[in-house]
Amino acid sequence: MKMQSMVLLTFLAFLVQTSLFPWLVPSAFSDRLLPHFTFVLILYAALYRSRHAALLLGAGFGLLQDIVFRGHLLGLHAYAMGLIAYLIGLLLGGRRLTMLSALAVVAIGSLLYDIAVYYVYDVFRFTAEPLAWALQHHIFPSLFLQLAFALAVYIPIRRAFEGNPRAKPTASA
Amino acid sequence: MFKHLRNRRLFVLMVSFILFIAVIGFSISSKAGLTTPEKFLRDTTGYVQQWFYKPAGYIAGLFQAVGDLRKVYEENDRLRMTAAAYARDKVEYNAIRQENERLQEKLKFTEEQKKIYDYNYLIAQVVAVSPDAYNRTLTINLGAREGIRERMAVISEKGMIGYVSKVSELTSTVMPITSLNSEESGISATVLGKQNQSFGILSGYNSESQRILMTKIAADDPIKKDDIVITSGLGNVFPRGMVIGTVESIQDSDIGLTRIASIKLSADFDHLSEVFVVQTSGTAE
Repeated sequence: MKMQSMVLLTFLAFLVQTSLFPWLVPSAFSDRLLPHFTFVLILYAALYRSRHAALLLGAGFGLLQDIVFRGHLLGLHAYAMGLIAYLIGLLLGGRRLTMLSALAVVAIGSLLYDIAVYYVYDVFRFTAEPLAWALQHHIFPSLFLQLAFALAVYIPIRRAFEGNPRAKPTASA
Repeated sequence: MFKHLRNRRLFVLMVSFILFIAVIGFSISSKAGLTTPEKFLRDTTGYVQQWFYKPAGYIAGLFQAVGDLRKVYEENDRLRMTAAAYARDKVEYNAIRQENERLQEKLKFTEEQKKIYDYNYLIAQVVAVSPDAYNRTLTINLGAREGIRERMAVISEKGMIGYVSKVSELTSTVMPITSLNSEESGISATVLGKQNQSFGILSGYNSESQRILMTKIAADDPIKKDDIVITSGLGNVFPRGMVIGTVESIQDSDIGLTRIASIKLSADFDHLSEVFVVQTSGTAE
């Protein structure tokens, strides 16, 4: 799959998580189940494509989220997504992973991302709640949502993202 | 060679970290509007997002409508009562308004003073909701082209949602009062029916208890439990009379000179599809 199609696919995930998904969550859970589907795809890109692609996608889509939902801070999601995806690509990219270990990596990545976001907001005093509460209130419930999405798209995304990125377009099926 | 590469990587990491801190620091202190590339990116994304949000909301609404069918009778009865009360109040309102206009003429109010409470309500469609837990901003499909300005109040039919925080040409961002920290949410509030005696300042939403605090209430304030808290409009930043919520409990503040009320917000923040932007005459051009 070419980089352009990966960007398009990730953008589709961004649209689903911001505009479609809020309607699917029951209203009692709307601030507890927060989708990060773009980040799941970016982590898959780190595992099955390359860390550089993951860095670019992470920084790009993080910045998109930062700008479109411009609130207190700018650049937080770009940095957190880019850095975490790059690190995971650096440590585990290109290795043969079983499906369960790939899901575990997605879980660890999402947790790291959520905790990093929490701490940045905590440092700048935009939240007063303790981390234990944040974990219990939305980070763990959202983690299961992320994992369910990761499991659902695992096979098609792996097929799409894998394959030699340096191969000529005609060579890739 | 490998060591050299590692060092370079570390160097890039440090530089990007410094850049990150600088950008965050800049974005917190900056009160400036958006730059052109930012506006372009927001408007194009918002344009695509509305294709998703609206149909999804319509389908979700359809299912909800089937579920709500039984409640319709009760709601109808309640609305009939409200309509009767409204008809009664309307007569009184007209009389008081005419009296008010006559007095304003006599007291030689300027044109600007007369129009200060003339509000215009613009209906806006929500097109996207932020997936960030600490920054639950909404994107709406009205922008500078339709006359939206920063700091305009945004309400739903139940109560106040927040205010417009950023504006681009075709879309704008709504900052909900639930995402404000204690320094940002300084909205002056009062109690419905006791507008002249009651005063407090909203400060900080507590996500854990899901209540917003109203602080700096004087000791002799007549506020009590179940009162309806509204914006006071003092300071002319927010329009007056927007419903915020109901008082749930009142206690003394830490120092003991003033009191603090815990307020349950009346607006419903999830599954929002339409909101109203309140255009005040001072901000409309």
